[in-house]
Amino acid sequence: MSPELLAYPFLFISIFFESFVLVTFLSRPARAARARGPARLDDPALPSVAILVPCLNEGETVAATTESLLALQYPSEKLEIVLIDNGSTDNTPEVMARYALNPRVRILHEEKRGKHHAVNAGIAATTADFVGCLDADSFVEPDALLQIIPAFAEPVVAATTAAMSVSKPNNILRHMQNAEYIFGITLRHVLASINGIYVTPGPFSIYRRSVVARLGGFREGHKTEDLEMALRLQKNGYWIENAPRARVYTKAPLTLTALIKQRTRWTTGFMRNAGLEYRGLLGRRRYGALGTIVLPLGFMAIAGGILVFCLVIFMLIERGVTAYQLRLGIPLSYAWLPHGFGFDWFYLPSSLYILLGLAAMAGSVTMITIGKRLSKTPGSLVRGLFAYIFLYGLIAPLWLLRATTDVALGKNRSWR
Amino acid sequence: MSIVGRNALIALAITVALVATVAYAIDYLNGQRIEELSAIEAQLSIDTLSLDTQFSLLEAAPCDNASSTDITGDLTDLGNRLSYTEDQLGSNNAQVTRLKQQYSLLEIRDYLVTKKLAAACGTKPVTVLYFYSNAGNCPNCDKAGYALSYLRDTYPTLRVYSFDYHLGLGALETLIGLQKVREEFPAFVINGTSSYGFTTLTDFEKRFPKGALASTTPATTRSTTKAL
Repeated sequence: MSPELLAYPFLFISIFFESFVLVTFLSRPARAARARGPARLDDPALPSVAILVPCLNEGETVAATTESLLALQYPSEKLEIVLIDNGSTDNTPEVMARYALNPRVRILHEEKRGKHHAVNAGIAATTADFVGCLDADSFVEPDALLQIIPAFAEPVVAATTAAMSVSKPNNILRHMQNAEYIFGITLRHVLASINGIYVTPGPFSIYRRSVVARLGGFREGHKTEDLEMALRLQKNGYWIENAPRARVYTKAPLTLTALIKQRTRWTTGFMRNAGLEYRGLLGRRRYGALGTIVLPLGFMAIAGGILVFCLVIFMLIERGVTAYQLRLGIPLSYAWLPHGFGFDWFYLPSSLYILLGLAAMAGSVTMITIGKRLSKTPGSLVRGLFAYIFLYGLIAPLWLLRATTDVALGKNRSWR
Repeated sequence: MSIVGRNALIALAITVALVATVAYAIDYLNGQRIEELSAIEAQLSIDTLSLDTQFSLLEAAPCDNASSTDITGDLTDLGNRLSYTEDQLGSNNAQVTRLKQQYSLLEIRDYLVTKKLAAACGTKPVTVLYFYSNAGNCPNCDKAGYALSYLRDTYPTLRVYSFDYHLGLGALETLIGLQKVREEFPAFVINGTSSYGFTTLTDFEKRFPKGALASTTPATTRSTTKAL
């Protein structure tokens, strides 16, 4: 049996999922969500909001994050910014102190007991109707909050996510992540329309404070407190919405090591939360798209990513060795240099494996393009698409493999 | 039905339709390949017959008008395409087998014409009959095929004819019998002398007549002799 055959089920599932996302994108709930405009700044019914900024050694970025929050278009008497020092050892407390006299800013100092403790301290310190989180390495567009508030029109909506992209991508790895984040904009917009969101990311997810308090606040959640909270909301019958035009920019890992570490944490968090603590959601029809499609396919994506990567590596090695053995003893100028450049349709690749892979890739590019247009994210995506197409499939399996190994061996890694 | 269920069904239908379309497109493309190969073979068949006829008509001065050089180049191209098609469709494909039989016949005819011309014109072409096996009993056939491609591209006057030993073609079996080629692979008949096995290019080159691989300009175009 050809090893390629093992990859076909995963290619089929990839194309199915992309088709599902694109069909749902055209369905009525998603169209209605896109038609939803921002709240009016002079609307007297605007609720009060507290934005919590948990910081652990974020001295370099917390000022810019705070400034971007102070620039939010929102009635000043209804917007509170809570900076929470989570036991920083750098100059974070000094930077925070600069805002001590600002009436819209509140500063809390907590012992280092994890991000979830810091966020809970912020929630306890406010009486606002809604609380939002913004990681101290992220920045928001001034209209982001006005874009988000209308998504809470229904009382059942307990949280709303924003449209994330990478802040000023400046290397190939960040460009790749930017494309991936923008892919996520389409995905979250579509999944929100069928209540299939499984994570409320740190950058500017807004929660109904009463619901979070009723559910006991944030938990450690295997170092993915945002994912755990989203699954808990879903389990308790709440909806998670999305505001695709509420733009938030986050600093993405600069190096491959940092990226793998971050994604290993995210992936282990997904597997441990969705596969262990919230396994009751998996495959259950009462949890709709989340239980029957999103979570099961999430696990399949991990398995497929690893399998296809291993297959490609195996095939590359096998073919490389064969090509080397074939050319052994033949002059290098003939053996390893191309002999002709003319196009001939006869030699066009026509393997089902390659063509289905190209179809899946085209689906991803379509989703990225939609995400950029939908969110009106500025900047060029050319380098991002290039990096996403040629790098992502090679890099992602590294953290998938690492995370799977960690979960299998029960290994816990530090946050940073 | 819920939106999720309905959309999942639509997505499933789209996926199945897409996979079916891709499979159909591949099948169509392979069909076109077979048609092109058939067309090339038909043309080559006419060219070979024409050359044969020319040769008979001009027995007095065959060297002035007839040359099989063009046909040999076309045969090489056909061999490459056939090899690629065999990779795509598999060596057990009935159409591939039929095309290989026709190709082998064309090769034998070109080989015979080349011999006739050589005898009539006094030239001394170097011909290699290469016999391979797809039955899994020739681990070095791919290496031998690649080395022959290199030699043919580097020394354009070298004439390489590759044959699947087990093709089951009467004319080929007659050729095998005449050349007394044993069932050991890879097998070579270089200017009438049989040899077996392949280790390295350097060792293989020693089997050629002295000076046979030293006098021509290296070729720049690509062609590959694969184990057809």
